[in-house]
Amino acid sequence: MTKFILTLITALGMYCTLQAQYLRGEISDAQGNPLPGASVVADGTKGQFADADGAYVLNLAPGTHTVQFSYIGYISQTKEVTMGTEDETLNVSLAEDAVLIEDVVVVGYGVQRKKEVTGSIVKVDSKQITGVQTPSFEAALQGQAAGVQVSQSSGVAGAPSLIRVRGVASVSAAGDPLYVVDGIPITQEYFLRGNSGALNNNPLAAINPNDIESVEILKDAAATGIYGSRGANGVILITTKRGKKGTSFEFSTRAGIGTAASRPNMMNTESYLALRQEAWENDGGTGYVWLPNMSSAADDPATRREAYLRAMETNTDWVDQTIGVGNKNAVNFGVRQGGDKYNLYAGFSQDNNQSYLLGNSYDRTSGRINLDWSPSSKVKVLLSSSFSRGENNRIDAAWSGGLGDAMSNALPYYPVRYDEDVYDANGNIEHEAGEYFLWFDEWGGTKNPVAVRELKKWKTTEDRSISNAQLIYSPIANLNLKVSGGFDYLHLREDVFNPGALSITTELGSANRYANYILNWNYSATADYRWELDDTQALNFLVGSEFQRTDNYGYSLSYGQVEGPIFENDSLSEDAANVNTTINLPSQHSFLSYFGRVNYTLKDRYFFQATARVDGSSRFGRESRYGFFPSLSAGWVVSDEDWFNSKRVSFLKVRSSVGYTGNAALPDYARFGTYSAANNGITYAADSILYPIQPENPTLRWETSRTIDASVELGLLEDRITTELAFYNKYSTDILMNVSTPASTGFTNFWDNVGTILNRGVELSIKSRNLIGKFQWTTDLNVARNYNELVDIGNYTPDAVSGGTNDSRVIVGRPVGSFFLVEHSHVDPENGLPIYLDLEGNETYDYNNDIRQYVGDGLPDLIGGMNNTFRYGNWDLSALATFSIGAKIFDSSAKRQLGVVTGWNMRDEKLDRWRQPGDIATYPRLTLDETTYSLPSGFPWWNTSLFIFDASYLRLRNLTLGYNVPLGNESGLQNCRIAVNATNLFTITNFPGLDPEVVRDFENAQDRNMSPNVTYLTPPQERAFTISISTNF
Amino acid sequence: MNIKHLILLAGLAAGLSSCDHLLEFEPGDVILAEDAIQDAEDLQRLLVSNYDVVANLYGGRVQIVNELRGPNFGEPDNSLDFTAVYNRETTFFTGINGGIYTDFYYAIYRSNVVIKNFDIVENLDPAERTRLEAEARFIRAICHWGAVKMYARPYGYTADNSHPGVPLRIAPSQDPLPRASVGAVYAQVVEDLNFAADNLPVVNGVYATQDAARAYLAQVHFLMGNYQEAANFASDVINSGRYTLDEDLDRFETDVINTETVFGIVSMPNDFRSSWFRDNLRSDNNPSPQLAFSDDFAFFMSLAGGGDGRSAWLTAGTRALINRFNEKEYFNVPLAHLTLMHLIRAEAHGELNSDLATAIADINTIRARAFGAGNNDLSETATAQEVIDAARDEFRKETACEGLWTDQLLRRGAMGEDITIRDAAWDCPGMSLQFSNTESTVQGFELNEEGGCL
Repeated sequence: MTKFILTLITALGMYCTLQAQYLRGEISDAQGNPLPGASVVADGTKGQFADADGAYVLNLAPGTHTVQFSYIGYISQTKEVTMGTEDETLNVSLAEDAVLIEDVVVVGYGVQRKKEVTGSIVKVDSKQITGVQTPSFEAALQGQAAGVQVSQSSGVAGAPSLIRVRGVASVSAAGDPLYVVDGIPITQEYFLRGNSGALNNNPLAAINPNDIESVEILKDAAATGIYGSRGANGVILITTKRGKKGTSFEFSTRAGIGTAASRPNMMNTESYLALRQEAWENDGGTGYVWLPNMSSAADDPATRREAYLRAMETNTDWVDQTIGVGNKNAVNFGVRQGGDKYNLYAGFSQDNNQSYLLGNSYDRTSGRINLDWSPSSKVKVLLSSSFSRGENNRIDAAWSGGLGDAMSNALPYYPVRYDEDVYDANGNIEHEAGEYFLWFDEWGGTKNPVAVRELKKWKTTEDRSISNAQLIYSPIANLNLKVSGGFDYLHLREDVFNPGALSITTELGSANRYANYILNWNYSATADYRWELDDTQALNFLVGSEFQRTDNYGYSLSYGQVEGPIFENDSLSEDAANVNTTINLPSQHSFLSYFGRVNYTLKDRYFFQATARVDGSSRFGRESRYGFFPSLSAGWVVSDEDWFNSKRVSFLKVRSSVGYTGNAALPDYARFGTYSAANNGITYAADSILYPIQPENPTLRWETSRTIDASVELGLLEDRITTELAFYNKYSTDILMNVSTPASTGFTNFWDNVGTILNRGVELSIKSRNLIGKFQWTTDLNVARNYNELVDIGNYTPDAVSGGTNDSRVIVGRPVGSFFLVEHSHVDPENGLPIYLDLEGNETYDYNNDIRQYVGDGLPDLIGGMNNTFRYGNWDLSALATFSIGAKIFDSSAKRQLGVVTGWNMRDEKLDRWRQPGDIATYPRLTLDETTYSLPSGFPWWNTSLFIFDASYLRLRNLTLGYNVPLGNESGLQNCRIAVNATNLFTITNFPGLDPEVVRDFENAQDRNMSPNVTYLTPPQERAFTISISTNF
Repeated sequence: MNIKHLILLAGLAAGLSSCDHLLEFEPGDVILAEDAIQDAEDLQRLLVSNYDVVANLYGGRVQIVNELRGPNFGEPDNSLDFTAVYNRETTFFTGINGGIYTDFYYAIYRSNVVIKNFDIVENLDPAERTRLEAEARFIRAICHWGAVKMYARPYGYTADNSHPGVPLRIAPSQDPLPRASVGAVYAQVVEDLNFAADNLPVVNGVYATQDAARAYLAQVHFLMGNYQEAANFASDVINSGRYTLDEDLDRFETDVINTETVFGIVSMPNDFRSSWFRDNLRSDNNPSPQLAFSDDFAFFMSLAGGGDGRSAWLTAGTRALINRFNEKEYFNVPLAHLTLMHLIRAEAHGELNSDLATAIADINTIRARAFGAGNNDLSETATAQEVIDAARDEFRKETACEGLWTDQLLRRGAMGEDITIRDAAWDCPGMSLQFSNTESTVQGFELNEEGGCL
């Protein structure tokens, strides 16, 4: 496939470079400024885009031709040209379209001119999304919008990114923004398979970035209020491409490679053994130290010595054994066709994405058809449908194995395979030469990441289809009645085969399938009417209702004593008599909503909007089922006032809003008190049992955010510089928390509305056309500062809610998910022991859970992105840098890699340890005994602030060099672009670990909210290099 | 806009109104709490689930943890949780102590739900109601008692037993509770057991009986230092004639309830309730079992010479491997048994210095089984102290792995004896397990002091 694509790229490149000439000219605006990229189409077929100087050239045969000149935001012109035997010149000046000049943005249930938008909305167009090479579209939003924090996924193929819009306003309920594709709030379940293999499911991976026309990010209540029920954490509207008049095709392809952006610095055998020996001697041991899987502390000295010397003969670099170079390639093809009564867009995409983790890839095949049909001037039917299949060839990662093993319990003296036969005490052969060397980790799992990768067969397949049908009836002018029905289908199945060779004790293996289905129906009906009161006033009304229902169910199959995975073995049918089948009954929820919006426009410079939405959710009881979420907003384009006269300020708009939004992303049945009658066959003494599962909470209600937002938009120097400064204050109450309740109540956790969270921030966006003309330079900069504080959690203690295993807790007065650890002070130079600080700041040798305290948090003070684009002639260069300042990272795996010497390998930083009195060292004296550091017995996890690091970074996220190939008419192409792209070329940071930008695997939505910036053997991000070619014809 | 359009518009706006039923979903694979308890059978099933929890607790988990706190077991092989208990350094991050605590209160909560819901069952037979309440209170009592022994200082640690015990839950509630005093917990335990003893049936299948309540009352009073009451209740059980000593020393039997079992848990081939014993103590299926007897215990066992049948329960060596549960995949676990009653009565009489003849006979009954009749009898003229010493020796041997010896040491420490357990004073802080990590999620709960026993 890679060869095919490279051949195709070469061929297309050569084809693109054919030269032609005849009709020449320049396209400019009314002021004579060139319009680079303006479109020139002759006879509806041949066309090209103007170059950086607005110049074009068309090869036309003798005769009369119709040539259309067009440019977005300008009124198109059509000219008749008669060509003879000579070249002709035709210069065209296009006038601005008063309506189209202003961007149109998609808002909930409609569109608005950007000028009259009174809420906070950021539009990201398709070029910004496809211009950055990311495996999933949402990752491309990083650095593109102020206040939108995108932390990219780890290096595992198919892993999800983490997006937070204006901070996190939830604790246990999902804190992700609501994703709406062509009007359908889609299924966005990250934990369908929990944390299987240290990978959370990415529900957005199935969306083809090339199908996207634009993405609108709604941030404040005025914008999200129309989605009131679930707008508390922002809304991301995805609009897919639709057909246009005429026929055009798009084709793009790319190929590339990916490597790890950074590499773990694990010790080799010599270093590991030396430090282990030092620890042993520090603890009073004599002779050679005992070695995991080679000898034990109780062995006699000779046995330990023999094991030590044998261990020295092997030096396996397990990192090299688990990472490499991943190949990537993709092909996208799209067609747009349109006539008087219909428009069609059809797209197909194949994306093969190997990660740098050996054996790991995510391949997506997707197709889309969007059809618009207008049988009459009053009726329009819109159909949208996408189909995709994502195949994830899985590997173990992080805590589950693979590179995670290479960074932990894969000690360098373990060989990958036995290099000679091994016999037992009776002379029987125990292991043959070439056989994988397997060992058990401390949890009893069989390890050797190479053996596991090669022998285990593991695949996750996701089939996804999102479809939508919309009927629009416009009985009179300005009135549109719409009914819409959508269906979002998701079928995820994970197949895993664990061979007997990995279990050691059995010859055959086990095959499992875990399948999930999510069926998501959406129906809506709206009516909108525009009422022109007079020449200066207009009212827009929107009313509507919506119903959404989601069914989530699944099953699992388990086969023992089989030779292969279910997907490779027809005999392992799902209804086989011997299979152990578990059926998960549907978990269902629904939303029923009524909403309305009124917009009032006065003199095209005063804008007012009121929205209201009533949402009912099945997740709440009758007493508190419905939430009311109103918003009010206003905007004033000051620069349109007659009295406003500034040569420098070309545009000035102020706007403000206040409103309420909600969140109901909690488990479907959290409010019910439930019992089980032990349908799973559990009995006691053969008598049946009945027992409570969870306590009832009939008062569960909506988590509600009140947001106040204000901003100033400014255009300077005829909009050479445009900027927006926004302030917001989001106060969220009735925060849904799955609190740990005292076990003596008979339950250990309980969903309740407990907390209050404040998010307050400032956002600044600047777009500057620094240089115009032949050499152009544009800068886009956005910066955002967010202050997050957990204001109240009632009578609970910090331990009431925790983020998985990540030592993040709820601490009043601190951000959501602050790190709650024992404060490390320094290493005592006299004795090499760690010194901690108690709650009063006094130094102590005693490690105690009672002295855990806030030691930092993973939320940044400042985030942003800067994209510089340079154009010269047909060349362009863009560089996107992203940055994050002020966040801390908890390097959770360091507590084992750099703590007590255990069966984990160590990192090179550990060499900076105390060795003798007087040493000033980062790490204390080495020990094999956790009690040396005052840790409780059996607790080698050295949870201290020593492993809290500054996670500030500046990263060159994306660098793209593009060339727009000059085209001749005979090429038949409208444009042709070749680009080379590099991601994550370098990162400037003080973080000593692998990657300062981390999204680890999470246990659940609460963990996802609570534990940003925690790394636990998490693979670093990818550094990718790609070459791509794209063309329209 | 004409009237048709207005009607259409209104219809669309109304849209999906009056559709509240669309928001009604109920979980399909569970029963709603409001529907769960309808009749006496439901109450019975809920009650059985209490025994289910007790079985999960006493299938070896509680016994092992209690032995690990005491002197009978050696250092665990590599289990981090066992090591934490052994070193008496549990924290609320240690899983095993949190799990046991949680399970105790699962059972207590369910017992309280049974008691609370009598009124919602129509036509509940009064006798049936009394029996259900008696069983529920029996479970509530043994779980409160089990918890207070493990998570608080022993009875007698303070003169008035005002030191903190565990939360006392006598009604289902989601409200947090502080720790009740040890005295209050014991008072409730005794009250519940008395009610159970007065109202439980004499025969009740594998479930709690009148004798079971009395057997527990004997144990509880014994730890409280109420030796006369302990002796009386033990006598009630012994004299009932419903229990006999099994001659083969093995009271952990598969598929059979041993004849000396007064109350115990039942392990079936499909549930392996006794798996904690099997997986951690058996030495025939694992050359390095997780747990083995301590050198101290092995030495103690050796003192009796070779005639003691119980010496077969261990194999001396680098680690004194435990043989008591070998060759068994699952077995029933007696919690209160006739041997225990004999030894409690014997020591109680010794403490009271009364009816020593009965006490000596009790001891010799046990010794006759272990050594053979007449081979190692306690003299009929033994003094009270000799009776006590002999009773304690037999107690320690007979209950090896049953998790009862540590409580006896703590009782003696609280009563003033100079007791040291593995080089640490009996009252070192870490002897009390730390509470579950969820217990302190509400402000104001007093956790145990940690460590201090190394």
